[in-house]
Amino acid sequence: MTDVRTPEAGGGGAAPGEFVPGDPAPPKLPAAGRFGVTAWARWGWRQLTSMRIALVLLFLLALGSVPGSLLPQEGIDPAAVQQYYTAHPALAPFLNAFGLFNVFAAPWFAAIYLLLFVSLAGCVLPRAYRLARSARALPPAAPRLLSRLPNSVRYETTMTPAEASAAAEAFLARRRFRLHRGDGWLSAEKGYRREFGNLLFHIALIGVLVSVSLGGLLGYKADRVVVEGSSFADTVTDLDAYHPGHLVSPSDLAPFSLTLDKFTASYILSGPDRDQPSVFGAHVSYTAQPGGPVRSYDIQVNHPLSVDSTKVYLIGHGYAPVFRVTDGRGKVVYDQATPFLPAETSTYLSEGVVKVPDAQPEQLGFAGVFLPTAVDVDGQLQSAFPAPYQPAVSMIPYSGNLGLNSGVPQSVYQLDTSGMHRLDTPVQVLTPGQSMKLPNGAGTLTFTGYKQWISLQVTYDPGQVPALISGIVALAGLLLSFLVRRRRIFVRAYPGESGRTVVDVGGLARSDVGGGFETEFAELAAGLGAAFHGTSRSDRPVPVTATTPPRGDDDPAPTTEETRSAETE
Amino acid sequence: MSDNLGLAQLSDHLLITAVVIYSLAMLAYAGDFAYGRRVKPAASAKTSRPVAELAGVRAGSVAASAEPPAAATPAAVNQPADGRERLGPLIRGAIALTYAGLAVHLAGVITRGLAVHRVPWGDMYEFVTALTCVTVVFFVALMMRYRAWHLGVFVMGAVVVALGLAQTVIYTPAGPLVPALQSYWLAIHVAAMTLSVGIFFVAAVLGVVYLFAERYNRRVAAGRSPADHGIMRRLPGAEELDRLTYRTVIFGFPIWTFGIIAGAIWADQAWGRYWGWDPVETWAFITWVVYACFLHARATAGWRGRRAAYIQLIGFAALLFNILVVQTFITGLHSYAGLG
Repeated sequence: MTDVRTPEAGGGGAAPGEFVPGDPAPPKLPAAGRFGVTAWARWGWRQLTSMRIALVLLFLLALGSVPGSLLPQEGIDPAAVQQYYTAHPALAPFLNAFGLFNVFAAPWFAAIYLLLFVSLAGCVLPRAYRLARSARALPPAAPRLLSRLPNSVRYETTMTPAEASAAAEAFLARRRFRLHRGDGWLSAEKGYRREFGNLLFHIALIGVLVSVSLGGLLGYKADRVVVEGSSFADTVTDLDAYHPGHLVSPSDLAPFSLTLDKFTASYILSGPDRDQPSVFGAHVSYTAQPGGPVRSYDIQVNHPLSVDSTKVYLIGHGYAPVFRVTDGRGKVVYDQATPFLPAETSTYLSEGVVKVPDAQPEQLGFAGVFLPTAVDVDGQLQSAFPAPYQPAVSMIPYSGNLGLNSGVPQSVYQLDTSGMHRLDTPVQVLTPGQSMKLPNGAGTLTFTGYKQWISLQVTYDPGQVPALISGIVALAGLLLSFLVRRRRIFVRAYPGESGRTVVDVGGLARSDVGGGFETEFAELAAGLGAAFHGTSRSDRPVPVTATTPPRGDDDPAPTTEETRSAETE
Repeated sequence: MSDNLGLAQLSDHLLITAVVIYSLAMLAYAGDFAYGRRVKPAASAKTSRPVAELAGVRAGSVAASAEPPAAATPAAVNQPADGRERLGPLIRGAIALTYAGLAVHLAGVITRGLAVHRVPWGDMYEFVTALTCVTVVFFVALMMRYRAWHLGVFVMGAVVVALGLAQTVIYTPAGPLVPALQSYWLAIHVAAMTLSVGIFFVAAVLGVVYLFAERYNRRVAAGRSPADHGIMRRLPGAEELDRLTYRTVIFGFPIWTFGIIAGAIWADQAWGRYWGWDPVETWAFITWVVYACFLHARATAGWRGRRAAYIQLIGFAALLFNILVVQTFITGLHSYAGLG
């Protein structure tokens, strides 16, 4: 943010002419005798909208964000938060009491940014109103002694003072200065777009905040794991982790359905980046609404699928070995692809479980690993590469009660072995087509092959486009406020002692962050000098340097006053 | 996919050469402080205000009506009224070495890009080599305009350290990109970030020098004669440094803002949301807020000067923390440093 509170501040070229009065008189405490509610409210409001408090709030915002990046966050990685609880059992509840595991949704964080935005609005809106009212206001009267301005030059000319004034006015009008003419003086001002840009930037920031909350209220986000050959519909029941905004109802979801036809991944085979993925692609077919035409699309990491402003992203992938389980009666009780979670991203060694609740006489469960490229390193089974060159599984069988009816929700990736016992078989490595017989005629597990799964994220965020527009407007406002300089040129023409007319030209940059006002003033002054000469056709105007009064370096007060009073007008 | 190993090696050699040349430049700048001809402490040589307005317009503007006044030349510091400061042989050598180092540095960055067939800022090593290149370019541009070449010793010193660390600690051989980085937004987002970090780098060096100059001023005001008199006299005054710092920051700030917006657009394409408080995003935000604090502080009574300079340095510290710690050691979506 730039200097909202003090428009004329902001550094720049003309050091003495650049007015930095600071805060308009610091808010005073209400008099002790009669501090009514209104007085306190007024005092509080002035405090809140003062630059000092805004600065403090900005600092707090930055400081408050720090724990959000250093501690695990619920909104980003809930599993990491659980791990933190396990690792620091004493500290974690304490941190949690302050919302430090969910900083960006914590009430205290919201308090900081809401106060900041109220402070910002309380300052920016009145100023926008003032800027709008001043759209036709005239620049202030010229100071008496132009030679005290940071930039000034004196000419002598044979034109009458009135002619010289008129010539200056015509010249500055051509340069599109806003003009104010008085008795023997002329004020010209340019660069109102700077204040406009500054306000635009700050108002756009409010726009960003509104857009973000719009997305939070009306948008939704969900995940879905899809195995090759299977489908899902964008409905609340068919999505895995559904996080709707506060105002979203299930009927608001875009009614598309999607099938994963094939997933391809290629990896770098050699060199220092071996095992790194080089290309991912999920070939899907989808219908935008039930009964609609089937279209196909290739979802890639940087190419989400967009269906009616709902977007589908590829966020993960893995292997789903296909198992067939025959129970003790010889009946096939399980035959499907089972997604395993990658445990090592470099080799895609994946872990997972198979739960067979229909097996008899007892329920069966298997826990184990899938290895895309299985190799034996000193008797240790490992995966050498993420691509499926030598797929194999190794599963440990259990029988007993899977605990699915206990009422406690279970992860599909974990086996609750508390009600089960491990079946006594040697560890076996199965390649596609191979089976392992369970002891005591409990059944058979066959590894029939593998498929790949992808995890998709379905997102609808109506705040996205407004946020982007606000961001671009903010940037445009920022550039405007940095690039445009607001400056004033004053001209005073009066009869001199020699009978010729003396013309003083003074210049003042009220904001010159980029610098360069001196150059512009020099050009303008030269142009004005030429203008006085051009119409008089007599002798050339002579800049009188000898008679220039000493600069008021030690006493810049007059100009300061001029500008300040102009500001309050 | 095949990377050109010959070119990659050439790039490595060029960048090492650049560090050597920069080091020599730094020594030459430092040598000028130590052995260079003393500039006569003319009244105008130490002026903290751009001299153009007085020298050109008021005093010497005899030509006001006929030809453009001499004031059309940009504001200058440390410049005697009669024209440009005469530079000693050591500092001229330093400037020549700066240009030579920059040329080699630039060639190193470009050959790296050619070797990997993409923009040369795909991993942390490339990012640092590119951003230091921006720093030197920006420094040269700034110094050409403001003629405060003596600041070179500080800029070169910082660049040598950063580039040296890049080649030793975080060096990553040339390689292709993971799918998440295969997007034209890499060219846009990371370019903006590289550019603004390079610029903020210059601002931070200027800020540190400002703090010394400010302390020097206070000591002189207190009637003491500080030991660093010889050095400080050659540097721009505190006010000038403050102004240079400010202009540098406002040059970098919109680019940083643009970089964040571009990053948000890319994040929306790649990760399914435009903002998600990923650690790196969070620290980019913190950096942005602290630099915003600096811009506001500079316009607030009681915060101008030293305090504002400290805020600016905190902002740069946040930036460094983001690059060196968050992107490297904290797991997040931005973990592309290639150091794993």
